[in-house]
Amino acid sequence: MRITTKRKKRIDIAESGALSDLAFLLIIFFIVIAVFNVNTGFLLGLPRKNSSKIVNIEDIIKVRLQPDGSLYYEDAGITMDFLEETVLERLKVRPNMTFLLIIHPDTPYQHVVDIVNLVRKDQVENFSFRMEGFRQ
Amino acid sequence: MSDIAFLLLIFIMLISLINYRREIKIDYPEGEYQEVTQADKNLEIWVNREGLIFYDGDPVSLSYAESLIADAAANDPSIRIHILADKNTPFKNVNGVLEILKLLNHRAVSLVVKEPEK
Repeated sequence: MRITTKRKKRIDIAESGALSDLAFLLIIFFIVIAVFNVNTGFLLGLPRKNSSKIVNIEDIIKVRLQPDGSLYYEDAGITMDFLEETVLERLKVRPNMTFLLIIHPDTPYQHVVDIVNLVRKDQVENFSFRMEGFRQ
Repeated sequence: MSDIAFLLLIFIMLISLINYRREIKIDYPEGEYQEVTQADKNLEIWVNREGLIFYDGDPVSLSYAESLIADAAANDPSIRIHILADKNTPFKNVNGVLEILKLLNHRAVSLVVKEPEK
């Protein structure tokens, strides 16, 4: 009696489709990594060193930012919501309004970003900031 | 099919390598009204929580950062400078970099922020 052995058919890895699946997974991985490197944020225009601009004093809103995130407008403590209302009201009356932010040196950066965020939200065109006690 | 996939893979891997950057561990500040600030040519200055300045993964002094920015701006005036600062770092550390840019008359700066977590 002749015994026949069944040979297992060898599967070519390239033909199985597993390789292309793996390749496409890797493609997705690298695409995601490549997309992660796009910076987003606020694009600000800086003034020239020692440059000055003449602004009507009534067009200026001067706000002080303290290290604990508290805001002072005309020597009175204000909230972020109040500041936003003030800015929006002032913009209606004076479209050329300039928002001047004076920042305490020890203020956490996030508080500054919050104010820039508000300025962007309210579409204030003239925004100026400087560090407290820092004079050019 | 797998040939095309691997060609695409090599292409995208190369692009990823070109875009590769050495990140510094920072907590990104968050802001809602952000825009894409990436330009064709970019230079990233990192400021960590302690106020140390980093370029390409290495700590640098403020004066060295100034020479780096000056060289980069001289080679390509359209280069976009990005400041990636930790959200808890005191503003004086970021202001140091901003003052360099003003001194060099580099007009545009990108303050990099991330979308707030929901």
